Amino acid sequence: MKFPIPVIALSILAVVLAGCAGGGATGKLQFYANGEDFVRQGFVSKDGWSISFDHVYITLSDIAAYQTEPPYDTSSGTGIDAKTEVALDGVYTIDLAEGGEDAPPIMVAEVSDASVGHYNAISWEISPASSGPAAGHSLVMTGTAEKDGQSIDFTINIDEECEYLCGEYVGDVRKGILKEGDTAELEMTFHFDHIFGDGELPQDDELNLAAVGFQPFADGADAAGVINMADMHLVHVGEGHCHCACE
Amino acid sequence: MHKENNYIVFIIKLKWQSVIAAIAITMAFLFMPMEVHAHGVNINYTSNVEVEIIATYDSGTPMAGAQVAVYAPDDPTTPWLTGICDGEGRFSFTPDTARPGIWDVQVRLAGHGGMIHIPVGGDTTTADGQGGFSHLQIGIMSACVIWGSIGTALYFSKRRKT
Repeated sequence: MKFPIPVIALSILAVVLAGCAGGGATGKLQFYANGEDFVRQGFVSKDGWSISFDHVYITLSDIAAYQTEPPYDTSSGTGIDAKTEVALDGVYTIDLAEGGEDAPPIMVAEVSDASVGHYNAISWEISPASSGPAAGHSLVMTGTAEKDGQSIDFTINIDEECEYLCGEYVGDVRKGILKEGDTAELEMTFHFDHIFGDGELPQDDELNLAAVGFQPFADGADAAGVINMADMHLVHVGEGHCHCACE
Repeated sequence: MHKENNYIVFIIKLKWQSVIAAIAITMAFLFMPMEVHAHGVNINYTSNVEVEIIATYDSGTPMAGAQVAVYAPDDPTTPWLTGICDGEGRFSFTPDTARPGIWDVQVRLAGHGGMIHIPVGGDTTTADGQGGFSHLQIGIMSACVIWGSIGTALYFSKRRKT
């Protein structure tokens, strides 16, 4: 049985084209949002208000993960220079208080054919939702605050648009390391103790000195007059800080 | 010009078994580990380069008692070493210079943390980096070269017949 040269040549070409089109090894990259136990279980603010949340709606957009070399330095104040980027289309309004006290972080979306490698940077924006329960606001917090027998049902709306540029996730485990055929996670973490403070920490702790507490809201203050998102350090990647720019 | 024509004709006259054999040989050469033998000299060295980190908050306050995890370049998921910063936020370790590349050091305390990336040795590419060519890429490139040769041969073969 003889194979003519053209057949062999075309076979080789098909292999080459298939290889070029394949784009290399891939895996699944999942994006999570995490309000941590502060949101799921409630906590005591720096000024003694016991806060529990019914809903914490945050609207995320322009979410992208990056492989950077050298690793992105959030203190540089520059953009992320990536060799590989995986972006999510769409806008996602997430309720960070969804689920019970022990609920896991909420998956925002996933990309099933992400190139393998170490995704050591992530960026996203928060912006006012165009529809749904958080329409018109980028962040909506509803719940109850109690102190000294007083109970207040609150709704706090944030309308600012902010861009966050973050480096690698910092936590108990390293995240974002994607191997062929495997699944890796990235997390957008929100620390609400940076807004309300933490009653378990000393009053002169740096976190409490920067936080506004809950008392201004109990006194009827508008969030726009109290909270400057660029100064709140609300957004993290695990325990790692992010660069923030707000409008 | 005469030599060039001979070369082309040689390729055209290959039977399919020979083409397959040529591809196999080419691939074998590409994946074969190369070893160069000369006069036998083994030079080994050890290097004890201590790395000291100092971790502080933005305010300059030392991260006293912070948890430290050190990751070697070839295993970015399992800590190579763990420890605790001293009262001044200092932590020292001596990386294994036989594992060159970027060593990652993670420092965490009370919900705040960060990472620093320290190059060790001559090769500072990360373990999971995609530098260089993979076997698949090399295979594709070699197939491209073979296809180019055969295509050229077919082109001139057709011209000769017409």
